[in-house]
Parts: sequence; structure tokens; C-alpha cells
Amino acid sequence: MMASRILRPAGKLFTKYSNRASSVQPALWRSASTALDYEQAVLNVPATRLTVLDNGMKVASEDSGAPTATVGLWIDTGSRHETERNNGVAHFLEHMAFKGTNKRSQTDLELEVENMGAHLNAYTSREQTVFYAKCFSQDVPRAVEILSDIVQNSKLGEAEIERERGVILREMQEVEGNMQEVVFDHLHAIAFQGTPLAQTILGPTKNIQSISRRDLVDYIQAHYTGPRMVLAGAGGVDHNTLTDLAKEHFKGLTGSHRDIPSLPSYCRYTGSEVRVRDDDMPLAYMAIAVQGCGWNNPDNIPLMIANTIVGNWDRTHGGGMNTAVNLAKACTEGSLAHSYQSFNTCYKDTGLWGIYFVTEKMKIIDLVFNIQHEWMRLCETVTDFEVERAKNMLRTNMLLQLDGTTPICEDIGRQILCYGRRIPFSELDARIAAVNAEVVREVCTKYIYDKCPVQVGVGPIEQMRDYNNLRSGFYWLRI
Amino acid sequence: LYKNKAGLQNQAQLWRQLSSSSGSGSGTATTTSTTYHTATQTETLSDYQSKHTQPVFESKLPDIAKIPLSEPVPWIPPPKYSTASESNTATRVTTLDNGIRVASEPKFGSFCTVGVVLDSGSRYEVAYPSGISHFLEKLAFGDTLNMKREQIMNTVEKLGGIVDCQTLRDAVIYAASVESKGLERIVELLSEVVWRPLITQPEFEMAQVAVSFDLENLALRPEKDALLMEMIHKAPAGRMKFANNGATRWPNLDWMEAFMVRSPRVPEAIWNEVWEDWSALGKNKPGPAQPPDQVVVWVRGCDHALEERVVDTIESFPRVDRSCHCAGWRPPSIETRRKLVRERSGSCAAEEADLSKVSLGVNPLPELCHLVVGLESVHHQHSDFVTICVLNVLMGGGGSFSAGGPGKGMYTRLYTNVLNKHHWIHNAVAVNHAYSDCGLFCILASAHPSHLHDLTGVLTRELVAMSNAVTTDELQRAKTQLQSMVLMNLESRPVIFEDMARQVLATGNRKQPTYFSELISKVTLDDVHRVAGQMLTSKPSIAAYGSLDKLPSRQDIEAALADKAGRLKSPRSGYSLFR
Repeated sequence: MMASRILRPAGKLFTKYSNRASSVQPALWRSASTALDYEQAVLNVPATRLTVLDNGMKVASEDSGAPTATVGLWIDTGSRHETERNNGVAHFLEHMAFKGTNKRSQTDLELEVENMGAHLNAYTSREQTVFYAKCFSQDVPRAVEILSDIVQNSKLGEAEIERERGVILREMQEVEGNMQEVVFDHLHAIAFQGTPLAQTILGPTKNIQSISRRDLVDYIQAHYTGPRMVLAGAGGVDHNTLTDLAKEHFKGLTGSHRDIPSLPSYCRYTGSEVRVRDDDMPLAYMAIAVQGCGWNNPDNIPLMIANTIVGNWDRTHGGGMNTAVNLAKACTEGSLAHSYQSFNTCYKDTGLWGIYFVTEKMKIIDLVFNIQHEWMRLCETVTDFEVERAKNMLRTNMLLQLDGTTPICEDIGRQILCYGRRIPFSELDARIAAVNAEVVREVCTKYIYDKCPVQVGVGPIEQMRDYNNLRSGFYWLRI
Repeated sequence: LYKNKAGLQNQAQLWRQLSSSSGSGSGTATTTSTTYHTATQTETLSDYQSKHTQPVFESKLPDIAKIPLSEPVPWIPPPKYSTASESNTATRVTTLDNGIRVASEPKFGSFCTVGVVLDSGSRYEVAYPSGISHFLEKLAFGDTLNMKREQIMNTVEKLGGIVDCQTLRDAVIYAASVESKGLERIVELLSEVVWRPLITQPEFEMAQVAVSFDLENLALRPEKDALLMEMIHKAPAGRMKFANNGATRWPNLDWMEAFMVRSPRVPEAIWNEVWEDWSALGKNKPGPAQPPDQVVVWVRGCDHALEERVVDTIESFPRVDRSCHCAGWRPPSIETRRKLVRERSGSCAAEEADLSKVSLGVNPLPELCHLVVGLESVHHQHSDFVTICVLNVLMGGGGSFSAGGPGKGMYTRLYTNVLNKHHWIHNAVAVNHAYSDCGLFCILASAHPSHLHDLTGVLTRELVAMSNAVTTDELQRAKTQLQSMVLMNLESRPVIFEDMARQVLATGNRKQPTYFSELISKVTLDDVHRVAGQMLTSKPSIAAYGSLDKLPSRQDIEAALADKAGRLKSPRSGYSLFR
């Protein structure tokens, strides 16, 4: 059975305080026709409309006529676009956005939003910065105006900057208390060592203490440009109205629709490991991954299916719940783990495909053995039966995620940034339908088999395998 | 095929042509690769890959698996979309001969959520071991009379759906979200799961393990909110004749352990007896505690004809024989229960615990003690219910450090008067629980144990201030926020599902959100003050957890709540030999 619960959605892997490593969820579709005939599919969803403005900004929306709406700005910039010196500035800006603009003071802004019954939120990831508002649909014009104001006219007052340093340092403490965040930060730090993707989103303490107004302004001017922005809307949002609002409020943005957003320099992957041993901690938190692929790569689909075959599991789900998933079965039978989640994190040109798990200190060897066995099986002997099952589950999970205006808006914004379009359900259906065991084996072999992994362990990790030992589990000696 | 693109696709294509920046290295971005060089002056991915990877064998991937995700697949025509219509969202309720009520509401989209909701749950655990409903949650979707577990799971997967069971204090929900075309099958499956579970020995043992893991996690988690909520629900129960208000969702750990230790050794006969008790409850959930007319199946997102067929399926559900399992306890009528609640007096559940080391990670977390002060509010059919919800939003609150921008309730009282003023308070939040016969309005807060007395004083002050110092501005803000909260929560299909089921269970029909919006807009300042004043006349329930040296006595708290300014007596500064 699925790990997700329909009544209270289980926390997704990476949603805590910011979508740091947005896991791949090109959420999606359903076709009424069977996927393999290429008849025109009829979808019971509203179309996603896309308009590109003269300044290069894209406006995309799906109008469901609901009484509420989510509108947001998806900006193609994040900690990956920072240097060692200004690492943390993207996230710092996210904080400063709510600290007042030339038009409204912080209190005015807060009171205005609160009195509207709206919500304003923001998050920064390695490649994206997002500001969004959730409101009554009649308040959409006001929400867009507020978003444009905080993104373009933030006051960035010196006093507020000083005050915010403390807040961010406090946030850093919170993040350090979240072991999953800690493990993923370590994982990026070693997998992409020496490249901007290795940097954390929050930045080092030194930078948080020294980032100046100048840094913030420079960063805005360099990265908050028309061609790198998407204004997305979902719920009760009329596309023409939204386009007009965008033209009115974002006319000051630089750029033209002819600009091609430049790709940041390629981030090299390095197989490696990091150990943070602390025998006083009750549990070990670990992750193992290999290099995955970028957003745009069609290999993503078989890789996500492979993810589904490995599955997610938590011991409180009960043993019977996952009998169809091999690794979960092994975990239940041998009490090997407290929980595990397989992930596929994508960036523009690279990614991480792997597994995060929490276990007791004396179970690490057994668990890692089982994981590797499962991964090798994906490359060699995975069956059509399993793949069919996983395809169904993947499809369902992706579809069910699109529940509510905010998840839909999020999906639109992300897809327009990553793919330049929103993939129609019918097409994704066809793409998934085309995957069979042979495809999974070929793609998994390409990414996993005999590749150098990255390994992170935090906690009582005496049993964590030596790197060469681990590496030797990435192939099978047989014909 | 390429020709019949809609205007939308043309626009998308135009943009793509202008900026096809596929960075995936899949080899298609030949025209743009030069741009990368000028833009970044470093090697591109394709350069890098051509240097570092060797093609090992010829790919057998199908063509579609080679097209980057940013490119449309040329041979798939663009789909036809529909436009949203919010017409006819009224709920239809049908009562069947076997007593089951079927409620359905159409909703735009391709998925539907369907489920069975029973008026049951942990508060009905009186004649059964505490925690049994939690077990039933874990046992749901196991082997049934006619289906094996694997069959059930396979069917669900094939239908493209997910299933779930949740037991709450006052409801048990078996539900599924599936693509609408699978509706009929899934209803059949739900009937199997709800009415004919076998509850086999191995399943039972699995459930035992899963429940004990849940309990362990509850104890291990640094956030103690869930635990505190259980405690405050237990608090009034001690004084009530019927434990119908307080039974906790969490099984008693001692009992659990006893049960687990005993089970392998009990003589066959005793075991069987225990066993029958369990499986009887499992098989006949509508038996003892729930007459069958309190069962709701709810369907949505389907066309009329399909709905009729589904109703037929439900009609074939077994007629539950009420006589055979009524030997045990039966809940008193709602009227009796409501009266009983009035007679109850508040009480105190305090549990000493060492929370000095709760961090799971490397960094220590601050030591906290947790406190809940609860006042009796009203049941959810009461005319003051909406006013209390407004009051709840008006108090608001949250963590002193929490994510989220404006809109999270930054100008609610627990922020402006409590968290922003007293830096030592870790979090403070107002929560209202409403059931069919009673309600509980509480404020949950935590701080370092040395501040426990001050913390209690702050809470009593704020509770008392609800009855006399609310301003028009904050009331208006709270009303708007509650209206938007209602609508925003109801964006999600499962939430509509639960709301609908609960309303139909309680009243036999469902009121649309607009109805509540109107009620909310009618709440006046006087209403708020009156209702708050009324709540203050009830005896408070108190739950506390952590290091509790500084916890004021219950009498002191009661006195403080009776005081016009909510002032708490200062801690006894009496005479002490060991100063």
C-alpha cells in the first residue's frame, strides 16, 4: 500500500522549511483513453494557459473557478547561482521580502495580508526562489500587486537586515535539528563538491553575519529578470486578467522575450562519503545516492518508476502494508529500519537518485546489503509485473498530489520553469506507459550499475560500510 | 498531427524555439550549446559527458523515452480540456432500507473520494480495552471473508487509487481515492473491508507491533502536542460516569505491554475468549456501539447512472443484526450525554517527565514543560459553535519561531499579547475540539520549567481577557480569516469528504461553506464576550507534562480564571527551612 495517506497527507520528503531539494514530482495527468492509442485524449481538467510577455516573463494559469486561488512567482534562481562569497543571499532575500517595501511598511504589509484572510509564503531551493499568495479569488489582483511589490520594491533597510541575521541563524539551528535536512546538506556538499550545488541554501554563518544591502541589491539585479520569472495561478484565476495584471505590475522588469536564460555552469558529481559519528545519538541517519539526471531528461520517468519499486516505508505502517515491496518486506522481517524513503532529486543538468534511511546502529550493514541487492536487481532482473505495479502507483501518486489550488499552482510554476511548458496529462501517461522492465533495467544500469555512490552517515554509524566495500556492492560478479 | 496544435501549444512552441535551453545533455540542444559557451565560459554537460562516459551497448529504449520532457511528443495530439463548472454542488442524501445513509456531491475533476464513516472511535471504547480502535486502524484492509489482502491491494492499484483507514476519537473512516471509473469496484471492496474482515492471528500480531512503534514514536518525538491533547481529553474523563468523552486514541502502554507479554503463554481457552472479543468488534463494527443507521457512505465525482449502480451495491451490504452484539455497553443518547457533560467538573492531569534531553540530533533542544488549560465549550450543533470558532481564530497563536509569512495569524492575540511579549514562551496556540455532545476550548503552551508558574499566569490572563477586551478590528480580522480558512481547507477532496460525512452523521444533511460564511459574518462583539464569559464559568481542565515543580494548584488556576483580570496568585513565598 501507498505510504501516503489520503486523509492527512503524509509529510513529503522535502517540504519542511523550504523546498530545498525539490523532489521530482512532475505531477500530472490522466487520460481517458488508454495510453497507447494516440487518439486525442479528453481530460476532465481545465487547460493550462501560457502567455509570454514582452519582457520575457511567463504567465501560466489553470482556471478551476474555485472561490479561492493561489498565485505565485517562480523565479529561476537559488543558492546554485551564488558564489562562495555570497552564499546564502537568495535565502536572505526571501526573508527580507516580508520586511517592508517603498510603498508599505512591514506592519502595513502584514496587516493587509492578515485582514484579507490571505497567506503569503516563500521558499528558496537550490535552483528556485518562490513567493506565493493564497487568497479569495476576488482578491487575486491585490495579491498580484503585493507580490510584485515585495519582489521589486523591497526596502531592504539596514536595521531590518541586522535583525534578520539573528532570525536566520535561529532558523539554521532548527534546520540542524532536522536530521533529514542535515543528511541532505551533507549529501550535496560531497556529491557536488567544488561546485555551487554543494553550497547550503542558508549559507555559512560567516556569510549570514556579513551579507550587506549591496549584496542583496546586486543579486536582485542579476537574477530577478523577466525571462527567469513565471507568474503562476490556480483556482479561481482568469488567465486574461492575470496576464493584464502581470503587464501592469511587472512592466519594470528588465529583459526581453528574446533572452535565453543562461544555464549555470555544469555541476560535476563526485562519488564520495562523509561520516559524522556520534555514538550518543539514539539512531543513525544515512543516505546513499548515485548521480541522477536533470529535470528535462526523459530518463527521469524510468528512474521514478525505479524509485517506486524501492518504495517508501515506515515501521508504523505495519508489516502487512507493503508486502509487495521487496525492501519493505526485508525491513519488516528483519526489523532493519525505522523508516526509509527513496528519492530522485533533480536539478537542471544533474540530479541525485538514492535512498534516505533511519536505523539502529547494529542494523546498518544488513540494511545497506538489502538496499544494494535491490538496486542491483533493478539493473538486472526486475520483472514486468513489478514495473507495471510501480507505474500504476506512480501515476496515482502524482495525480492525487494535485489536490487543492496551492499544489496545482506549485506544479504549474515548477513545470514552466523546468520544461518551459506544462506537460499534458495524456502525454505523461503515454511516457509512463512506454516503460517496461527492459527500459527500467537499461536506465538503471546507466545510472546505478558500477557507478560511484555518495554516502552520508550521521549518528552511531560504527557499522557504516567502508567506501570501497560499498562501491563493490554496485556490481554483481556473474555472467 | 503537428498541425492541429491549439493556440496554447503554439505559444508554448514559440517560447521553446526562442529559449530551448534543454540542459539535460541529451544531445538535442545543438543550436544552443554555443550559447552556453559564451554565457558561462565553462564546459557544458555534453562536452563533459562526451569526455567521461563511454557508450557500453546499444540502447533499446523506445522512441518516446528519448524525447526530452520539455519537448512535446510529436505523435501525441494535444488533449481536449474541459472548463470548470461549479454548478450543482448540492449534497444528495439517500437513506437506504438497511439504514445506511448515502451522501454524494459532484466535484469537478477525474478522481473521486469514497468511503465509509462510522460513528465510532476511541470514545466508545468503554466496554472494550482502551486502544482497540487504534488496533482496528492497523488491521484495516487485511484478509476478508472473500478477498485476500494481496487481492485487495492489487485491485486498488489497478484502479489507480489509494486506501486508508483512520480512527479518531469520535469517528472511524475507511476511505479510498480512485479514478472515477473505478468507483463501483471500490465500493464493493470497501464493503468487504468494513463488514467482513477476518482479523487473522498474524495480522493481529503485526498490528501489535505497529501500534507499539506508534507509541514509541509518540514518546520519542520532541513535539509533545499530540500527547498533551490526549491528556487534556483524559482529564475531564476521570470525573465522568461515562468515559465517553475522554477515552484516548492511544492505547494505554501498560495494558499493551501486559497483553504482549501474556499472549504467547496464555492457555488456549483464555486466548480464544480474548480473541472472540476482538474479532467480534472487528467484524461487526456497526454492532455494539453503532446502530447501522449511523453509517455513511459517501460518493462523489461520478455521473448519475454510475451513482445509481453504486447505491445498489450499498443496498446489498448486510443488514446488521443489532441484537447479537448488544450485550456490552451502549452509549447513552446524545441528550443524556449533553446533560452529563454539564454536570462534569474539570480536573487536572499532570505527568512528571524528564524532558531535558529530547533532541534526536546533535544539537540539544531547550528543555520545555508543556501546559494545556482547557475550558468547556460547546458541541458542534450548538448555536454558539461558530462564535467559538471565531474566538479560536482570534486567539490563534503558533510557535515563537515558525515558518510562513504574513497570514499565519501574526496579529492574533497569542502572538501579539503572548509570544511577542514574553520571549521565554516557546509556543502558544489555541485549539477548539468539538464533538457531538461537548466541546473543549484549550490553549496549549510551553516554556522552560522554571517559567511554568508565569506561563500559567499569562494563559489565565489571556483566557479572561477574551470575555471583555476584544476589539472590532480583531474580530473583523478573525472573521475574515475563519471564512478563508473554511474555503481553503475545502479545496482538498479528502477534506470535503470528511466534512460532508461528519455533517451527515450529525444532522442528516450537509451545509455548504457559504452557509457557514454567512453565520460567521453575523458574529458580533457581544456574542464573543458572552460566549467567552460562559466558558470561563466552567471548571477548567488542566494537563501538564514535563518537570512540574512550578505548576500552580488547580484551585489557584480556578481562582485566577474567576478573577476579573485573570491574575494568578504568586507562588507561595512562605516560610521555609531550607532557603
